[in-house]
Amino acid sequence: MNWGFDMRNTQLGPNRFVAFGFCFWIFLLPESQGKDIDFVHQVAPILKEYCGKCHLGEKKKGGLSFNTRALMFIGGESGPVIHPEKPEDGDFFKRMLSDEKMLRMPPEGPRVPPEMVKILKDWIREGAKWESGYSLGGVHYEPPLKLKKIALSKFKEGSQNPIDSLQFQGGNGISIRSAPDEVFLRRVYLDLIGLLPTLQEQEDFLASVDPQKRITLVKNLLARNGDYAEHWLSFWNDLLRNDYTGTGFITGGRRQITKWLYDALANNMPYDQFARDLVAPPTPESAGFSEGIRWRGEVSAGQTVEIQFAQSVGQAFLGINLKCASCHDSFIDRWKLEEAYGMAAIFSETPLEIHRCDKPIGKKATASWLFPELGNVDPKAPKKLRLEQLAKLLTQPDNGRFSRTIVNRFWQRLMGKGIVHPVDGMQSEPSHPDLLDFLAGDLAANKYDLKRTLFLIATSRAYQAEIVGHPMEAILGKNQILGPMEKRLTAEQFLDGIWQITGTAPQIGDAVINRWNPKKTNNPNGVESKAKWVWSVADSSQSPAGETVVFRKDWNINKPVYDGHAVITCDNRYTLFINQKKIHTGNNWEKPDVVSLKNDLQIGRNEVLIIAQNGGSGPNLAGLWLDARVSSPQGEWVSLETNESWKWTKALPDKNGKFLDPPKDWNAAFIVKQAAVWDSRLKGELNTLANQGIIGKRPIRASLVKRDFFMANLGRPNRDQIVSVRPEELNTLEAIDLSNGQILASLLEIGAKGILAKKYQSSEELIRELFQLALVRKPTSEELHLLSEGLGNKPEVQSIQDVLWAIIMLPEYQFIR
Amino acid sequence: MKQGPLGRRNFLKSIAMANAAAWMAGEPKLMASNPEGGKLIHPPAKADSIIILWMAGGMAAPDTFDPKKYIPFKAGIPVAQVESTFPAIDTVVDNIKITQGMENIAKVMDRGTLIRSHVLPDLGSILHSRHQYHWHTGYVPPQTVACPHIGAWVSRVLGPRNSVIPAFINIGQRLEGVGEQEELKAFTTAGFLGGEYGPMNLPFPEEAAQSVRPPKGMQPSRFENRNSLYRRLVDKAPNREWLSDFQQKSMMRSMDNAYRLLSAKERTAFDISLEPKESLEQYDTGRFGRGCLLARRLVEAGARFIEVTTEYVPFFNWDTHANGHTTLANMKQQIDRPVARLILDLESRGLLDRTLVVLASEFSRDMIMEGKPGSNAADQATEKVDVLKELKHYGQHRHFTGGSCVMLWGGGVKKGHLYGATASQRPFVAIKDALSVTDLHATLFTGLGISPKTAFEVEKRPFYATEDGKGDPAMGVFA
Repeated sequence: MNWGFDMRNTQLGPNRFVAFGFCFWIFLLPESQGKDIDFVHQVAPILKEYCGKCHLGEKKKGGLSFNTRALMFIGGESGPVIHPEKPEDGDFFKRMLSDEKMLRMPPEGPRVPPEMVKILKDWIREGAKWESGYSLGGVHYEPPLKLKKIALSKFKEGSQNPIDSLQFQGGNGISIRSAPDEVFLRRVYLDLIGLLPTLQEQEDFLASVDPQKRITLVKNLLARNGDYAEHWLSFWNDLLRNDYTGTGFITGGRRQITKWLYDALANNMPYDQFARDLVAPPTPESAGFSEGIRWRGEVSAGQTVEIQFAQSVGQAFLGINLKCASCHDSFIDRWKLEEAYGMAAIFSETPLEIHRCDKPIGKKATASWLFPELGNVDPKAPKKLRLEQLAKLLTQPDNGRFSRTIVNRFWQRLMGKGIVHPVDGMQSEPSHPDLLDFLAGDLAANKYDLKRTLFLIATSRAYQAEIVGHPMEAILGKNQILGPMEKRLTAEQFLDGIWQITGTAPQIGDAVINRWNPKKTNNPNGVESKAKWVWSVADSSQSPAGETVVFRKDWNINKPVYDGHAVITCDNRYTLFINQKKIHTGNNWEKPDVVSLKNDLQIGRNEVLIIAQNGGSGPNLAGLWLDARVSSPQGEWVSLETNESWKWTKALPDKNGKFLDPPKDWNAAFIVKQAAVWDSRLKGELNTLANQGIIGKRPIRASLVKRDFFMANLGRPNRDQIVSVRPEELNTLEAIDLSNGQILASLLEIGAKGILAKKYQSSEELIRELFQLALVRKPTSEELHLLSEGLGNKPEVQSIQDVLWAIIMLPEYQFIR
Repeated sequence: MKQGPLGRRNFLKSIAMANAAAWMAGEPKLMASNPEGGKLIHPPAKADSIIILWMAGGMAAPDTFDPKKYIPFKAGIPVAQVESTFPAIDTVVDNIKITQGMENIAKVMDRGTLIRSHVLPDLGSILHSRHQYHWHTGYVPPQTVACPHIGAWVSRVLGPRNSVIPAFINIGQRLEGVGEQEELKAFTTAGFLGGEYGPMNLPFPEEAAQSVRPPKGMQPSRFENRNSLYRRLVDKAPNREWLSDFQQKSMMRSMDNAYRLLSAKERTAFDISLEPKESLEQYDTGRFGRGCLLARRLVEAGARFIEVTTEYVPFFNWDTHANGHTTLANMKQQIDRPVARLILDLESRGLLDRTLVVLASEFSRDMIMEGKPGSNAADQATEKVDVLKELKHYGQHRHFTGGSCVMLWGGGVKKGHLYGATASQRPFVAIKDALSVTDLHATLFTGLGISPKTAFEVEKRPFYATEDGKGDPAMGVFA
């Protein structure tokens, strides 16, 4: 990592900017060279006088706006109003000249005088020349595509974060107020890795007198690859609409990119490559993003997978909303139907019929991307090549929109509000254009190292300052950024924090990944499972279709079971019983099940019984695989694996796994010779599942778990649509769930029991520690007094639980300040 | 902790260029004008509350509210000869007949309007969850923004009737552990309107009391003490000055609302076990019946929008792909008594006039026809027979979208009225006063005093309560 502020790296070199003509509007007409009509002095005043009341600025009656030349020619809800070839035929002139009450324009007041009508007609005949960049709307802004080269005049090498020198230009002398160390510590942990600092980490940082300690901390946090990946996974899952369950998965209409994404984050894959892998997937691992969601049934033309591709690429990487333009030329920005379809056609296997508002217009789309001024894809090339061309165009350094969009998202995440806001509307004017272009240019010039961008922001004085409020309060200096806004914890941060404080993180996640382990990067999960594929014969390749074999193993456990799970799969189906109780069934060997065993095992002998059944229509390979691990409250693990010590019979038990007539023919199981067939597909995944959360002692994170009711309530979205900003307010239904929901109440109860078991010297000590863990500060004497009173002389589970609840319900816990 | 010489408020005040414009990320703005440009005017409300009785899974009109030619089961009869599998029965309204098994509902048909001409789109292969999404949001999925449930629209525009009772309550549908749960969740939401307007989900009516009670095992006194400890702790926080006003106010308001509901007397409305035995027994035909009872208690307590669902589980309840007749006999037994009792109870309490009760389903069914004429949907019947062999072949096993029934009671609708009709011969498509989902929603919104053209600005474009603001209310159903 090289995050030193070396000037040579902070900018694109001058030779990197290839001069190209600006051509932001794709004109409907060739521009005329005619000089007769002067737009600004002759045409604009007429439009303002006679049309302005309804069609300029914010007003766009009937969807028609004359703010810009493009909008004027796009027309309104009923289509174009000006026919360039025959101006008289369009509604623009027809209605201007009509005497009919229902038709005439303007609808009331004086008519447009004939000599002015003539000026307008001549102007259109001459090609409707419009002053470049001139907007009658008065608010029009079109971001330049290339990045501005930022001169850091006040920047002193090595001594100051370049962001600091940028944002104080033109300030009015109000200085930034640095946040205290405790506040900074909690903030930077939550923002960069999504966790609360542990007591030891707090102590180390707060005791340090190193003037560079904040910079060092930021560096160290970013170097915690696993924690970093597991925090930012939620951000990217939202943005790339990746999830572990949801619409489409059940019907095979959607694919996860979890494994690829996790690795990309843990290894800090350069962002240009990251985007290229998603747009033009080199392997199926990253294909789920571009493939989108194949919905069941017929969908409108604006929601086919091709159009989804256009929308997703536009929104995620460029902050362009193509949702309007997917159906008709957008009324709100420059994007047009054919441009949206051009993007879609890049992804399309077959020629793509353009539909306007769900009706075909009798025209096929030509594959083309959104900024042809940077080059274009070859519409005749095969799909794979077109995608590669798009990926390259998207990520070339001249495409400032690409780097601006992501640095702006990161700025929003850390500072609470984007430099361009909202973050998905990158056509809007930035509040601090130089700052935005500096960060974007710096990213492009440094191998698209996203951690470097986070480092720059997190070590700026602005980020380290006291908070300046909430976006709702909108107290932002025009030229200054005085500090970050207050940010609400995401559902995942909220839950991870509670799991940390109470030690209640689950043992198993739902995301199928190889969790990062710094110690064993080659074999991230350490212990390889000892389980074998078994059947009633060693060569099970000729098992008859439907053959049913019952396997049994007694499992002796001598400590109470605190937590645990079994990973199980069978080619082709199984039913698992423990102690004559049905636990789980499964019928897809390619999707191993993870089954909780928390509540089903007893001290002493446990009978594990599995009815395994082969599928197919003729003889074929059959096998069963299980790896079960449970821990005692003290964290001692015992395991059970399928192997030749298991016994089998052909006799069948009843529906509870009980034999009315206990079989006498229990035979020893065989290890299947052909296990390689399954291993080649599943071995890694089975290992990962069996090891999750057990090896390495890194607790499971909320980002790795399916969205449950509790997280949904706290704003974790279902990822059918791209989500770039989580809800910022706690609503009443959430508050009800926080006040009486069973999930939280159980966590707090278990947590309280654990705290009680720690046997603190005094209530004060307990409270001090909880405050430190949750809020990263000492309680005041008033707080200490109040909560000690709450706990009483002899703290009990209930009183600890209530104190815990009161602390995590504090705004101070629920927000990052 | 270091606070500096000035407090935060003074510090902020010292920033000369404070920008007063309130702004919030993603919060949609209510638009003040209708699509034609004039000011948005809401119609006068005819009802204050609404109860949707949702017959999830596709309630077959010919076997419920729109009897056709009845042919009793007999092995060997061609399936195509059968139109209804239940005989028609008289109702208290001369010109309205419904089907056997709904004798109690027949007695309250004079309190409402029966719509027989509700038409649904044929969305290719006709999937329940997509049609349910469409029926509940007014928009055909998928959409590029998360669409709000109509309950969320009502909640957002009208707010709660009684400030402690959540404005949108959804009874009887599990969202976990059932098939198509993700699809169900996709429309059981406030979508872009934001979670404050989302549903309070009460899948089991008998457990509803639990959702508004202090946590399990927590005595009221402990709950009160915990809250008091919390409030005092908030007040004592040394750094309140350094938290934003907006967040603190907003969060504390929500926490207060929650506490008020969880400790309010109105929460007894959620507890159906408090109902007199006679009444409880009348309603208790199962979960749906108990849901109707809960709905009545909640309307009495001041609820705004309630939906009660005969739970949607693929291939269960109204979702009859085989054995339809037998299943429907059971379904009718589940709904008949509680629905009728609900209407009568609301009436006797003087609430029916201002409560709109709507009974509807995502589409109808037919013995032989999938979709409607010309549909390319695949035949969904489990056993495709031309001649009845066993009783399980006897029933409405195909989805039909061309004509469906909706019952409206109370809330200013005509009494004993029949609206629309379907053809007397197959296909039983609506032939008079066809009413789309968009227009039905416009009708319901209008009844509640909400303009169908109500819109919010989302991602800079208007998003309307009825699709594109085009919903046209069927004023003919109102008295």
